[in-house]
Amino acid sequence: MKWHIIFAAFAAFLLMTYAEEEEAARLLVSKQLLNKYLVENMDIVIKYTVYNVGNAAALEVEITDNSFHPDHFTHVSGELNARIDRVPPYTNVSHIVVVRPRKFGYFNFTSAEVLYRHKEDAGSLQFAASSEPGEAIIVSFRDYDKQFSSHVIDWAAFAVMTLPSLAIPFALWYSSKSKYEKLLKPTRKH
Amino acid sequence: MSGKSKAFTKEEELLLQDFSRNVSTKSSALFYGNAFIVSAIPIWLFWRIHLIDIYANLISFVLVTLASTYALALAYKNTKFVLKHKIAVKREDAVTKEMSRKLAEDKKMSKKEKDERILWKKNEVADYEATTFSIFYNNALFLALVIVSSFYILKTFTPAVNYIFSVGATSALLALLSTGSQ
Repeated sequence: MKWHIIFAAFAAFLLMTYAEEEEAARLLVSKQLLNKYLVENMDIVIKYTVYNVGNAAALEVEITDNSFHPDHFTHVSGELNARIDRVPPYTNVSHIVVVRPRKFGYFNFTSAEVLYRHKEDAGSLQFAASSEPGEAIIVSFRDYDKQFSSHVIDWAAFAVMTLPSLAIPFALWYSSKSKYEKLLKPTRKH
Repeated sequence: MSGKSKAFTKEEELLLQDFSRNVSTKSSALFYGNAFIVSAIPIWLFWRIHLIDIYANLISFVLVTLASTYALALAYKNTKFVLKHKIAVKREDAVTKEMSRKLAEDKKMSKKEKDERILWKKNEVADYEATTFSIFYNNALFLALVIVSSFYILKTFTPAVNYIFSVGATSALLALLSTGSQ
């Protein structure tokens, strides 16, 4: 146990000195689903946040998410393959993508891939993977609608549909009725 | 008294013709068209709010709508028949007044012809008011009963059963009520 602590402290020391010595960008990428409910055929908002914890700017950062297969998801807005030219040190940049699931059921949301140049003169690109939101359930639209919709628009449309069949005959009847009742009134007064 | 009633016999014959249960093709088309629209409207409620499966229930939609159209048209016709008599009596004085005022300028017209015109106008007014009110009354009753039965009475049933019974039973009930009150 003792040895472990000593080894860990040594490793940390080495890492710190290494980090201090080398000027390079280090990216931490998180992938979050911002929705409370994931519903079939309704928007899912995915937020990618890139944190640069390194002491140099990350260049040509490219976020690629291949986990949304076109068979399962419709792409609504935001780039699934986004490119950020520069992420300055100790800052973060976020990117939003909106997709719509085509099917309901369990779905495993896996990580996105990030490629970046950690130094200006770096020969090869650095690869990073984002965090994984993990498995989530996509609720069918019917179930969601049954539970949450107030159907205001549906009832309004129903009212619009029924209105002519009620208002027109009533208006015609009422106009005739009032016309003849008005005619009759003066005669009663005499 | 007897003389007076004799004088009215001819008019009454004319009235009888006009007041018969048979409706003209025009008003029959109006009744069936209206009945069809009102019978079809509940499909929207069942589709959007009860979330009925449109394609699986297509046959029941067609059959129930047709049956309901027939029953509603029958209800319109019967209600109109009952109402027409009542309205004719109610509007008699007003129509007579209106027509007398209109025909007063025409000195050439005989009294008989004037009376006939008044009678014809009375019939027309009664027909018009009875038709419009009958459509309004039956439509309102039908829609209200469909909403009450589908959302309260038959709430626990599956949407398909709910649809058939709420629309079918309501239209049948309206047809029955209209024949009962004559």
